[in-house]
Amino acid sequence: MERRRAAIVAAGVAIALGLAAAGCESGSGDEGGGSDAVSFDANVSGALSAWAFDNADDVGQARIDYAAQQLQGVSIKMDQTGFDAQKFTARLAGGDVPDVVQMDREYVPTYAAQGLILPLEKCFTAHNVDPKQRWYPNVVGDVTYKSQVWAVPQFYQPPAIILNTTVMDAAGVKPEDIDTSKPDVLLAAVQKMYKASGGVPAVLGFNPQATGQTYLWFISQGGKLVGDSGAPTLDDPSNVYPLELLKRIVDAQGGFAKYKSFTDAFDTFGDNNQFVKNQVGAEVDAQWYPNVLSPYKDKIKIGAVPFKGKDGQPVTVAYGGSFVIPAKAKNLSAACKWVLALTDDGSWDAAATARAATIAKEKSINTGLFTGSPGPDKAIRDKYVKPSGNAGFDQVISTYYDVVATGKSAGASPAGQQLKQELTNAITAALLGQKPPQKALADAQTATMNAYRSIAGS
Amino acid sequence: MEALKARKYNRREAIAGYLFISPWIAGFLIFTLGAMIYSLAISFSHFNLATNKMRPGGLDNYRALLDDPRVAGSLKNTLFFAVLAVPLEVMLALFLAILLNRVGRGAGFFRTVYYLPKMTPAVATASVFLLLLNGNTGAINSALRSIGVEGPQWLVDPAWVRPSIVLMALWGVSGTMVIFLAALKNVPRDLYEVASLDGAGPVRQFFTITLPMISGAVFFNVIILTIAAFQVFDQAYLLFWRDQTNVAPESSLFYAVYLFQQAFRQFNFGFAAAMAWLLFVILLILTAIQVRIGNRFVYYEGER
Repeated sequence: MERRRAAIVAAGVAIALGLAAAGCESGSGDEGGGSDAVSFDANVSGALSAWAFDNADDVGQARIDYAAQQLQGVSIKMDQTGFDAQKFTARLAGGDVPDVVQMDREYVPTYAAQGLILPLEKCFTAHNVDPKQRWYPNVVGDVTYKSQVWAVPQFYQPPAIILNTTVMDAAGVKPEDIDTSKPDVLLAAVQKMYKASGGVPAVLGFNPQATGQTYLWFISQGGKLVGDSGAPTLDDPSNVYPLELLKRIVDAQGGFAKYKSFTDAFDTFGDNNQFVKNQVGAEVDAQWYPNVLSPYKDKIKIGAVPFKGKDGQPVTVAYGGSFVIPAKAKNLSAACKWVLALTDDGSWDAAATARAATIAKEKSINTGLFTGSPGPDKAIRDKYVKPSGNAGFDQVISTYYDVVATGKSAGASPAGQQLKQELTNAITAALLGQKPPQKALADAQTATMNAYRSIAGS
Repeated sequence: MEALKARKYNRREAIAGYLFISPWIAGFLIFTLGAMIYSLAISFSHFNLATNKMRPGGLDNYRALLDDPRVAGSLKNTLFFAVLAVPLEVMLALFLAILLNRVGRGAGFFRTVYYLPKMTPAVATASVFLLLLNGNTGAINSALRSIGVEGPQWLVDPAWVRPSIVLMALWGVSGTMVIFLAALKNVPRDLYEVASLDGAGPVRQFFTITLPMISGAVFFNVIILTIAAFQVFDQAYLLFWRDQTNVAPESSLFYAVYLFQQAFRQFNFGFAAAMAWLLFVILLILTAIQVRIGNRFVYYEGER
């Protein structure tokens, strides 16, 4: 009797397994439509669903309103929850596919490699848009995979080095000493400004943002992270120098563990931020950070210098946002027209007008908008960015505008997320002294290649 | 005739019983057993949920488990966590339960206060612990410094990363504490009175009366906490793996975190399913060993 019952259970499990497998196999034919069959019409109608438009500020809302006006007759439904890779996967699997998804540019090649989103050449053609004209080349490069553009990019907020004049003057350091192309000069300046208290840092001479600006350090200092095909190249010999340079900078300031704990405790967005409290002499910051500092303009004295590459020339590397159209989107034409409207000159003008109104209300400083497109960037600077009465802030703003066109793309890899994580892990291991830089990078390359193979299927 | 009546009654009673638990049975079959069988099927395939593509993979994923050093590495990290966290959590929970059991006035208030951490969302707890565990300015190291001890760099030094996650896990000890408290309430008072008359002190009473009488609760908690420890995800993910710019030493890569990365970052669902089944088998074996050993020490009322 017992044996018979066991046999029945075993048979049941086998049948269930078979059914489960059969169910999946039947699903295997249900793939995203091929991009060849896709067409985008300039005339649009119907309903449009968009996802991941969370935290729309004055700039975002002005652009959304403007784009809606360009799509009269289309009903736009927006999901304002944030993008989440797990949720996106589940939505695609469940057939709940939005027409437009907003995501970081780093994610784009991952979904492109799997055919989950559409290449947009036909969309650009339908609306006479030349991506290389509308956006900076490096910005388009971030979303170009296998010679096709897979997303409509937005924003390029370049990094530069903000100087804390108070700390630098006290230590006798000049702006030209903060030069990332001259490590010995830079390290001498760092040592003049660095102070420790109780064995832990009290003032950093230079905060390199070792794990927050990884791409900047590697690409600017001659490294190569992604090959032409999108395969990771973390073990390229050119990546050793940037890592060794970072280690020298961090070791000169208490070592990585203490440096990291010190910077983690910064009140970055608050009244006691690292510039107000004079905790840094100089720091690598993205273009948005002067906005954070502007309420404290009377408490701080700042300036800025460009981040320089190994060749001594200014260089910037940064990602930003983008809009993608999933392969199974229902209203492709409306999606295409809408995302292009969100990034056209009129949209950015509306955004800049809204921002100017906000700034006037808050009596703050207009640091400009860095849209990812050269035309709107210049137009907004000419129209809205005026002398603020604070020479230091004006020089900082000017520096960011000076370097915005010097951008380089770190490359587009289907394993982009894993690459960033593994690169951060390699930096951590090398800076902590757990592994020599070569070994840390080689281990990171092995792990990233595994991810690349499983995502790209090569 | 009487026997027939009794059988009929038993059957009717059994049917009623099954009907009462039928919602649970339906839920178990669909959401637990069904999902398990599906994941077993996936583990023998190369399956991408996002594209819904599946091709047979045979034992590929199970072979890959052996080839991928991170599977063994993450298991080692998880085992380290379990070995450290389970005994500490049991001891701390028991200690707190004994304290609460002795409180007379305001017992309800103290029980509520001690249970509050369990109600705190993991994200909020992680945010607080990021501050507490800061190696330079955190409250824990500041306290250690005040007694002349230089604390470690909890969140950066690879040697201290796993203990920092254990500390955060201990924050939620009150769930275990409540079970112990209920068990302590069931220990007959007269046993202590008799022991006192015989001259047994508090320590002797604890080891000869309290511990044997609550051994069932201890056994239950050890098994549940062991299973939970092997599935630990929230704490490690929130402290170290929440985005790609986080400093995440390899020692913080726990098994469930790696499984999540494989499934939802690399879309490697077949491999992730194989990982899940490996964990299931490990837990099955561990639980069997614990039950075998535990049965020797656990006191079941009415059995002996």
